[in-house]
Amino acid sequence: MSGDHYDVIVVGAGLGGGIVAGVLAEAGRRVLLLERGRHLSFDEIAPDHLRNHRLSLYGDNTTVDPSSQTRVFVDATGSEHLVHPHEAGFNHNAFTTGGGARVWGMQAWRFHPDDFRMASRYGVPTGSSLADWPIRYDELAPYYERAEHEVGVAGDHAGDRHAPRARPFPLPPVPQSPTGAWLARGAHALGWKTFTPPLAVNTQPYLGRRACIQCGQCIGFACSADAKNGSHNTLLPRAIATGLCTLVTQAQVARVTTDRDGRIDGVEYYAPRRDPDGNPGSPRYEHHTARAAVVVVASGAIETARLLLLSSSAAHPHGLGNHSGHLGRHVQGHYYPVAYGLLPRGFENPNRGPGVSIATTYFNHGNADVIGGAMLANDFVKLPIIFWRSSLPPDVPRWGLANKRAMRDLYLRGIDLRGPVQEIPSPDARVTLDPRVRDPFGLPIARLSGTTHPETIRTADFIRLRAEDWLRASGAERIWSWPAERKFSAGQHQAGTCRMSEDPRDGVTDPFGRVHGHENLFVCDGALHVTNGGFNPGLTIMALAFRTAERIARTAF
Amino acid sequence: MLVVVSTPVPFPDGIFRALLDRIIPEDDFPGATGAGVENYIVRQLLGDCAHEKEEISRGLFSLEAEANARTGSCFTDLTPDDQDALLRELEAGRSSINWSPTLPAAQFFTRVIDLAHEGFYADPGNGGNRDGVSWRMIGYDPHLPEKPTASPPALEPRHRRGGHLLPPSG
Repeated sequence: MSGDHYDVIVVGAGLGGGIVAGVLAEAGRRVLLLERGRHLSFDEIAPDHLRNHRLSLYGDNTTVDPSSQTRVFVDATGSEHLVHPHEAGFNHNAFTTGGGARVWGMQAWRFHPDDFRMASRYGVPTGSSLADWPIRYDELAPYYERAEHEVGVAGDHAGDRHAPRARPFPLPPVPQSPTGAWLARGAHALGWKTFTPPLAVNTQPYLGRRACIQCGQCIGFACSADAKNGSHNTLLPRAIATGLCTLVTQAQVARVTTDRDGRIDGVEYYAPRRDPDGNPGSPRYEHHTARAAVVVVASGAIETARLLLLSSSAAHPHGLGNHSGHLGRHVQGHYYPVAYGLLPRGFENPNRGPGVSIATTYFNHGNADVIGGAMLANDFVKLPIIFWRSSLPPDVPRWGLANKRAMRDLYLRGIDLRGPVQEIPSPDARVTLDPRVRDPFGLPIARLSGTTHPETIRTADFIRLRAEDWLRASGAERIWSWPAERKFSAGQHQAGTCRMSEDPRDGVTDPFGRVHGHENLFVCDGALHVTNGGFNPGLTIMALAFRTAERIARTAF
Repeated sequence: MLVVVSTPVPFPDGIFRALLDRIIPEDDFPGATGAGVENYIVRQLLGDCAHEKEEISRGLFSLEAEANARTGSCFTDLTPDDQDALLRELEAGRSSINWSPTLPAAQFFTRVIDLAHEGFYADPGNGGNRDGVSWRMIGYDPHLPEKPTASPPALEPRHRRGGHLLPPSG
């Protein structure tokens, strides 16, 4: 098949790509949406406690054909590892329609206004590539609001004021728990303000779907009530409903193509040959080309950078948008310091999802001697095997009756506080193409190398100690934590590889996500984030997607 | 004493079960084998962990040799307290015989501890944690309906206009 012509080709049907496809199809544009994963039903995303997106010891529950997916991970000592999706070095995010949001914890935060001006506020530490965003919070605020309403976010309008808000959340906040009330008293004693964090969950029926049933295995799994909101159950079905959006799943895009004048004109991709009888079985892939007036790459920060690097040509020998050398650099995720403790005897966690019920933004900025900070919140409902692996007090023996009794006595009393630390980017934390290893399509695979800047470690340890303070003030019986270590950080919150900039010398895309030097090529995922906020990044990816899609609809045709 | 389970590698089943029941002993709730943990581990050694099968099997034989060298008895004939004392020695890295250089005693023991608890605390679908017994013990409930109440919409156009539409899960 060749020569199919569309108005827009979108590569990746995750949070960003699903939204772009929905907005543009509803604007009357013909969209080809290419997705590496499949549109999985609830039953296809296994409730396996060892193979999911919270604990992936031996696999995960979304990756189709995981043996064909590899990356090269270069560790801190310089050793190279060929890694598969479930292994830590891969820095995986779910490959399926909806992307990571199909299985996410749903925290749907607006970034703080100062997250957009980190360099101005703190200066640029030696060796870091810390920079301001080319846009301010006020420019993104209307799109945050649109994402909150069209995808569905439950929040506390009165309490959540770290960023100015014009309109209340469309859904009431998740219910408070006795644990949350206990933590609120501790924070109050310290003079810290707390509130119920915003989650993209139907706390009541919304947009034709049901309310959350508060099951006990939320994060890392698909939602049995389909109350976990993302593009997969909002903008993506809206896109398909127009009849103008063609979704091709299990598609691997090989390159973004350019015409003789160097103008972006489409993509080459591989997709399984469809068995006319619908028989399952190992698909045989066929090569396709498709043409479009606009191409949007929304494959997540790692695969987006890889695709732009794979699309090099005589005119663009270092990849598309890489004349400045920024493509694939400044990789960020979130350091996640955790302080553990035990609720006093007589208190028990409710063991109901989602579980996150209280947060503070008191330490996102303005901390003495460290750069930036993090939102702090309690954790999601925790699987027993995860509790056994990571949350028992360190002096509990790892086996025998003492271990069994500790699990029995402490599982419902475990409490931990954690926060996504805004990382200080390093230009040496990179996605490049591996010079030797290729995927089954013959395409060089992503190679991940470098570490974060040392300032990230200082902020992470500062936040960890504040989490300890909170547990102490609340009356936790024991408190323990582990210091941060330098490492490559990307994971589910991966960001930064195609940073936006006003000046083409300073980044990969313009302030609308348009790749510098290409009027019809856009990036639409966390890769755009100059810095990644002291918050979970999903809502910011969605807000930017609405804004970029609106820009494309208004100006590209 | 040596039972060969359904693997081509000889597998000392009795020692294996005795070891698992010291890692997770029975009290008023079942221990490891009472919850079917051995089923989980054998399934793993035939599946995801097939590459570890020979080393784990060799480790079990070494455990038996260790018991013989130290006490003149089989591991399974020792009292639970003596079994624990021997395991604490191995945990501390003190062994009397030569263990595999690629899986020394302490690492072998750590690996079996991890596998045993995975089987005991993971979902029963993995082969251990029979009837969710460990979850009842600690107070965890997945609170899931027997069938999902909803799934994301199948992706269907309202009006078919131009272009072909592919099956949503194809």
